[in-house]
Amino acid sequence: MGGRRRPSRRSSRPSDPVADETLAGLAQRIRAREISPVEATQACLARVEAIGPRLHAFVRVDAEEALQTARIREAEVKAGRTRGPLHGVPLAHKDLFVWRARPASCGTAFPEYFRADHDATAVARLEAAGAITLGRLNLSELALGPFGDNAHHGDAETPWRHGHCAGGSSSGSGVAVAAGLVYGALGTDTGGSIRLPAACCGIVGLKPTYGRVSRAGGMPLSWSLDHVGPLARTVRDAAILLGVIAGVDARDATTSARPVPDYVAGLDRPITGLRVGVPDRYYGDGIDAQVQTAVQRATETLRGLGAEVVESPLPDPALLNDLANVIARSESAAVHARIVRESPHALQPAVLSRLEIGFHVRAHDYLQANRLRARAARTFVAEVFARVDVLVAPTIPEPAPALAAVKAGTPDEIVRRMGRFSRLTRPWNALGLPALTVPCGFAADGRPMGFQMIGRPFDEATLLRAGHAYEQTAGWWQRRPPLP
Amino acid sequence: MTTTPERARQGTLADLAAAIERAAADLALAEEPAGFPAALDGGAPPAEPAVVPAERSGG
Repeated sequence: MGGRRRPSRRSSRPSDPVADETLAGLAQRIRAREISPVEATQACLARVEAIGPRLHAFVRVDAEEALQTARIREAEVKAGRTRGPLHGVPLAHKDLFVWRARPASCGTAFPEYFRADHDATAVARLEAAGAITLGRLNLSELALGPFGDNAHHGDAETPWRHGHCAGGSSSGSGVAVAAGLVYGALGTDTGGSIRLPAACCGIVGLKPTYGRVSRAGGMPLSWSLDHVGPLARTVRDAAILLGVIAGVDARDATTSARPVPDYVAGLDRPITGLRVGVPDRYYGDGIDAQVQTAVQRATETLRGLGAEVVESPLPDPALLNDLANVIARSESAAVHARIVRESPHALQPAVLSRLEIGFHVRAHDYLQANRLRARAARTFVAEVFARVDVLVAPTIPEPAPALAAVKAGTPDEIVRRMGRFSRLTRPWNALGLPALTVPCGFAADGRPMGFQMIGRPFDEATLLRAGHAYEQTAGWWQRRPPLP
Repeated sequence: MTTTPERARQGTLADLAAAIERAAADLALAEEPAGFPAALDGGAPPAEPAVVPAERSGG
């Protein structure tokens, strides 16, 4: 199977029967009464206490509230009732969602930076399906940053290598899932903020199609490019989470009324004949050699599973990045104008620099970018997906860089570095297409690497099927970070 | 030669504006931003049977 290496199943730390479980496995064991929701919650909280602070995963832990909910879920299981597929499963979410009517810090110095009239729809749907929310997870300030550093709440670190980036902006979501502190988490993705931390932390991340998941109750950064989606240990776990949060929502006018398929049901279908496209340019430029090799091996694994791999010519990806930049900078400056005007010194210099430039984008350019985006999406879907079903590309251009290195230099140098690190993920936000990142190996020093698969609009099911087939064959998901 | 933050910012904006202007040169008059969600909807595969009703509550 084309250069594929089967990784060791050996964990880097002693086996933990609760922490090592997947979301799907835990939910099944709770339903079978092999593990109680209280046991699972206590196990997670113990790990949060032991490991969480040094990785800067959480902004706030709601231990008592979580245990109280767990006791209710446990009583329900004993009475033979379950609320849904996540009954009794501990989760936590990026601290830019409002829930239980509590505001979110959004990674700023202000604990109540973002308020909303209603709880976040995605979080509410997870809780309605039985999930237990342990608390709020760290993020880049205002979700503006691909590395996960945060001057107010601590720099999130990948659990795989001390002093290295967790990826951002959903940094705490990546860390918490990878470190076994929770079984899944919500993140948001405006230019890669779900996929970058997932790749840096060695887990799965899914940016759904624009309109597939409601953003209501989450802090807007750029309403044209914002997406809400899951980070999880396995593709199956991500499929379960997506199935719960997807669907139309009256509180988010951009959501689609398109029916939500059963994402789990199709996971085990073979991928024989699936047409996998390898971009003919851009996505191989300036990529770390280890990442490039890992993605090539992943592609060969897909070929070995029966996929038909072909080179795929793409419309200019650099233009897509430019469109996304014009739109994101204009909209984020509009949304966050008040903090820039009133409390600029409370913001990290690079975050302030990224926001300030948006005040100077001409309305003409913003409008033309939005018109171009419509044409680009139509053309891309018609031309590229006439020839392939799925595209593959690296998610990150290099394994998680050192935190000290990404924070060095002037704000403008840092902003340029941010742009380079997210250049592989940002084009898919411009197009609104679904993109799934899956671990595809480890660098020589143990840092994880990931590759992304991009599909037709609203065809998350095919991405999940291909990702699951790859993941189960490659087996990287079984590795655990070197933690206590 | 040192680049000041203001000069760098102006350079970034000018580069972005130039890229947008070049690409927009042959845009059809009828092209509008609302074409974006329509492009996604039009490019979707045929819908599979739903397991969740299309009408869902906010939470």
